[in-house]
Amino acid sequence: MAEAPLLELRNITKQFPGVLANDHVNFDLRQGEVHALLGENGAGKSTLMNILYGLYTPDEGEILLHGNPIDLGSTKAAIEHGIGMVHQHFMLIPVMTVAENIVLASEPRHAAVLLDYDAARKRVREISERYGLAVDPDARVERITVGQQQRVEILKALYRGAEILILDEPTAVLTPQEAQELFEIIRSLKEQGKSIIFISHKLNEVLEIADRITTLRRGKVVDTVPAAGATEEGLARMMVGREVLLRVDKKPAQPGEPLLEVEDLSVVDDRGLEAVRGVSLTVRGGEIVGLAGVDANGQSELIDAITGLRPARSGRVRVGGKDITNASSREAIDTGVGHIPEDRHRRGLVLPFTLAENLALHDYRKEPESKHGFLFPSRMVEKARRLLREFDVRGGTPLTPAGALSGGNQQKVVLAREIDVDPRVLVAAQPTRGLDVGAIEFVHRRLVEQRDAGRAVFLVSLELEEILSLSDRILVIYEGRIVGEFPPTATEEELGFAMTGGRREEAA
Amino acid sequence: MTALAARVGGIRWTHPRTIGIAGIFLGVIAFWLALPPLAARTVIWPILIGVVAIAAGIWAQSRDERRVGWGAVAAGLLGIVFGVLATRSSVDNLDKVVVWSALGAATLRYATPLTFAAIGGLYCERSGVINVALEGMLLTGAFFGIWGVDKTHQWWLGLLIAMFAGAVLATIHAVWSIHLKVDQIIAGTALNFLALGITGFLFISIYGDTGTPGNLTQYAIPDVHISFLRDVYFIGPIIGQLNLMIWLSILLLFVTYVIVFRTPFGLRLRAVGEHPRAADTVGISVYRTRYIAVISSGAIAAMGGAYLSIGFVHSFNENMTAGQGFIGLAALIFGKWRPFGAWGAALLFGFSSAIADRLPNAYGNEWGTLFQALPYVLTLVAVAGVIGRSIGPAAVGRPYVKQ
Amino acid sequence: MTDDDGKFRDPKALEPELVPDAEDMAIPTPATEEYSPRRFLALQSQLGGFVGPLLTTALAFLMGGLVVLLTGKNPLSVYKAVWNGTGLSWFFHVGNHHINLPLVGRTWFWWDTGSLAAGNLQQTLLITTPIILTGLAVAFAFRCGMFNIGGQGQYFAGAYLAIWVGTSFAGMNHVLHVVCCIVAGSLAGAAYAGIAGILKATVGAHEVISTIMLNWTAIWVGAYLFGQGGPLQNSTQPSIPISNDIVEGARLKVFWGDPLLQGLSVGIFIAILMLVVYWIVINRTTLGFEVRAVGFNPEAARYGGISVARNYFLAMAIAGLFAGLGGAVDILGWQYRLGETDVHANTIGFIGLAAALLGRNTAIGVGAAGLLFGALLNGTSGRQLDPTIFRPDLAGNLTTIIQGLVVLFVGLNLTTIVRRRHK
Repeated sequence: MAEAPLLELRNITKQFPGVLANDHVNFDLRQGEVHALLGENGAGKSTLMNILYGLYTPDEGEILLHGNPIDLGSTKAAIEHGIGMVHQHFMLIPVMTVAENIVLASEPRHAAVLLDYDAARKRVREISERYGLAVDPDARVERITVGQQQRVEILKALYRGAEILILDEPTAVLTPQEAQELFEIIRSLKEQGKSIIFISHKLNEVLEIADRITTLRRGKVVDTVPAAGATEEGLARMMVGREVLLRVDKKPAQPGEPLLEVEDLSVVDDRGLEAVRGVSLTVRGGEIVGLAGVDANGQSELIDAITGLRPARSGRVRVGGKDITNASSREAIDTGVGHIPEDRHRRGLVLPFTLAENLALHDYRKEPESKHGFLFPSRMVEKARRLLREFDVRGGTPLTPAGALSGGNQQKVVLAREIDVDPRVLVAAQPTRGLDVGAIEFVHRRLVEQRDAGRAVFLVSLELEEILSLSDRILVIYEGRIVGEFPPTATEEELGFAMTGGRREEAA
Repeated sequence: MTALAARVGGIRWTHPRTIGIAGIFLGVIAFWLALPPLAARTVIWPILIGVVAIAAGIWAQSRDERRVGWGAVAAGLLGIVFGVLATRSSVDNLDKVVVWSALGAATLRYATPLTFAAIGGLYCERSGVINVALEGMLLTGAFFGIWGVDKTHQWWLGLLIAMFAGAVLATIHAVWSIHLKVDQIIAGTALNFLALGITGFLFISIYGDTGTPGNLTQYAIPDVHISFLRDVYFIGPIIGQLNLMIWLSILLLFVTYVIVFRTPFGLRLRAVGEHPRAADTVGISVYRTRYIAVISSGAIAAMGGAYLSIGFVHSFNENMTAGQGFIGLAALIFGKWRPFGAWGAALLFGFSSAIADRLPNAYGNEWGTLFQALPYVLTLVAVAGVIGRSIGPAAVGRPYVKQ
Repeated sequence: MTDDDGKFRDPKALEPELVPDAEDMAIPTPATEEYSPRRFLALQSQLGGFVGPLLTTALAFLMGGLVVLLTGKNPLSVYKAVWNGTGLSWFFHVGNHHINLPLVGRTWFWWDTGSLAAGNLQQTLLITTPIILTGLAVAFAFRCGMFNIGGQGQYFAGAYLAIWVGTSFAGMNHVLHVVCCIVAGSLAGAAYAGIAGILKATVGAHEVISTIMLNWTAIWVGAYLFGQGGPLQNSTQPSIPISNDIVEGARLKVFWGDPLLQGLSVGIFIAILMLVVYWIVINRTTLGFEVRAVGFNPEAARYGGISVARNYFLAMAIAGLFAGLGGAVDILGWQYRLGETDVHANTIGFIGLAAALLGRNTAIGVGAAGLLFGALLNGTSGRQLDPTIFRPDLAGNLTTIIQGLVVLFVGLNLTTIVRRRHK
């Protein structure tokens, strides 16, 4: 190696309660390169970068800049050493202007005490022109697009003199066009001598933009390879640690009556923007329909509208022929919609509630759990005991608070509850997010069982692998529209192409 | 051509917003006509003008100027109701109540403690810490102000001692809310109890049987006499002779505006209150900023208390603030966490107190008492979003957990 | 950025995050049975359920003792005098007397019932009654994730209505009149709190702000009602700002002690009954299930099919029901009238708030803490405390200080600190 690395991380180890997030990680960054950090969710990428940005202190290991050990005790120290970070969840203040956000904490002044707004605007314009990042300094951050907000984040780092830029999953929230624009920006930054760490779990992106690729798996570095010559297959193998995709044993589907029918559904998101635009789909009993798509293309809003958690602007939702458009979530449940929510902590479970109470969350109003408004806790416990056994939930009795269980067991509790209400339609949103392999296999097996029992399973996932291995039919959503339907034999490339808007012209 | 004509003087006269605002003014005028000095005796004028105000409001409302439009409708209705009521009253009675210059001066007097409390609260809440302990801080300032004057015979030392005491109380709030991450409302409630108990305890053990010495009046915070204004019509009687603290509160308003909206510190303060993690990631110390804000909040609110005891009534009594700290909090919310907004609300509430004070002269005690509830009802209406929702800093009430 | 629940904060959510990063939470944790840190914490916080409040109380009294020491008095003898004033020593007296329990009739006790201590205990329990009821008002709303600071205003709403109904309709059947007063008072409290509930459920107005405003509105409305010229002011003596006395027929039965010397009314049984009702509603009804689910996690409750807005309103209204009942029982039990000065001086609602916090919003806790504060309040009152030992007006303020310290330390949750040290 001719040139000394600009930045070097040696033997970084970081332990959280119960988790070894980084296990003797070695990583280096050369001047003017894009070095990708690849790994699945929970592989320890974010932890490593938070250490580099001074947000966490490592338990072991050292960080060298230009060959000299440095101490990154705080973000301030990291900024002073020329390290800038674009967080996955933007660190911007919505009610403030772009310029205010950028100069925050190193503001230009006049008369020693006053904030010089003119100078701030001027500096922001200068930098944004130099790097080709067009933004309006006076716009309020809450009024600009996500892509523009990301530029503001990059400008924030550059304004502080960052030489090293950490981009944490920068494309996760972007549309494909915006992602392409981002890649242009990254290339131009590289040309101007900036060094970039690009964190992602998307193989094609990493291959497109990176010079070198380091793969993390379960907190350990698997390998660092040059991007030239690397293949998606090879990287995937390093990332997941097994060659064969996780195929689920299942018999061919025997689709029956249509149980879930969505017709021309439009839904707006929290900001009042149309997130689902005229979606129509049908899921029959006895089949699993997978919905593939990049994050934030309307999946959450679609699920919410089907399950009664968000009103539809127009269109119809029918379950078993019964119209439940704009029904309450209770009506949806009573009509036979089971729902495994994408975030079990926020929605799926009341963590301080006992497992018995969590398992009764849907039918606490019905006999035998209650009568005339009075609860019968012993019957709730009885039912819980049966379900916990049936679904092999470990680590708790019916009286254990749900928060005391591990993630996999918590998900089993959710699954048990949703399957126990005997749904006609089971909506599973990212049902295996954050689970270990054993738990994933358990969940997958249960979903297939539900299909074989004649229920309609609507699977929404960001993991293509999961979609491919479970689905009998695959729909692709892009910008709130269904842009294509594929058989389960489709390749990742085909799906990926559609997910990034590649077949939009065919959507009718 | 008409468009041009409509923009004479830089104001778009036919714009719905302008019409709506004009409607609000007309509503006020409908009432004002029936009051001294004009004291119109016929019900026609208030009704006529009120109806015009309502019409303007409806027109503006129908053209998507919702808030201003409804405001004009409400102003018109109230103008009619109060205008008609006023014409039914005898001129004699009206004269006893509506003495504009006296009302003006009283408004400023009553608004001052509220202003200090609201500004104190503004720093605290802008940094993301809820302050329901303003009442306790005000009370603490009131007691220690007069105690300080009693000990030192210097009003400014009394003021400083009051501010120090307020800051000490606020420091507890800061430690509890910021470091110990206790629910900020519980901490504030506890401090209100503590301030009430401690000031009462000290007052009785020090001044128990006789009350605060009467001779302290001579050491009180002085009034500012503006001699050349003395004889100016209307203005003279209002601001010709006001307590120093009243001027200080107005000065503090401007200073606060500049600090919060025109300095780097203010930007950081607001950032910490809106999104502490974002502030942290650019190297701002969230804890330090919040400590500074909360502790200053105590010192500033205590100034309001000191004004009450050594600038206004020249004595102290147990629980003498009687909810003024909460009206200050109300003013802050009503004014949407902005200095001049809060001041406007404080003036409005002060005005209602001033009216309440004078109503018994002519109309009996009970109406004055009922008027005292007005600030609270108005704030309730404000948080209910009837006249534009009041929304505070995004991170207010949330303890920040450093990573 | 901002949480999805917007203005609303779940009081439980203020616990410091245990795992530092959301993404790291997604890391699969080994599902081992033998060790789980969260399980350990859950256990510990259950333990803190009674250890914390006891420590808190001890600490507050210790600091209160220091305050007494500063005035040159002996804290032990002051506390002893307060203790005697509370009448709690009655429980340790041996005698051979009886009291008349309602329904049960003459019940024999082997204790002394006519002593000074018995009289003091009657006073303590009279004050305890509204403290428990306003405490339940805070506790019930808290279980739904709301901080009801408005117990005072809701108590007043109940008291005002009780006075209006109690001073009117003279000659009505005794039981009917009492029931009417109680129902009117409770509903008034419920309606008054319901305003805050509706505002939260519909526009998301923060209940703390709205209940504070409602408190002060209630105070001034009371001052208007009973002040000179007010509609409920004394009809025979227009110069005195006090209401008429409620008629004999509207008063609660005094079952222990002399009715002319403020004996103990059956109101205390209403309070105890409400503690039981509270426990049943919270733990054994579907309504309580919904309220608790919303209180812990509104988003999960909504997902479970529960209407969050409806529960916000209901929980506030039921909370107000308790406080309004407290106001009514207080009027019917011993106050019989209310004056303008009472309206300004009464802080029962805030003491109830302290009791609810100290009692951790459980039925038993609120009952015990209510008794503690009732005893403290009575023991330091001018009527009970021997002025040669400690000035009662000083002692009254001491009570307020102790109250403040209790709330201050209760929020602190001593066990939390221990926990954090060990991390």
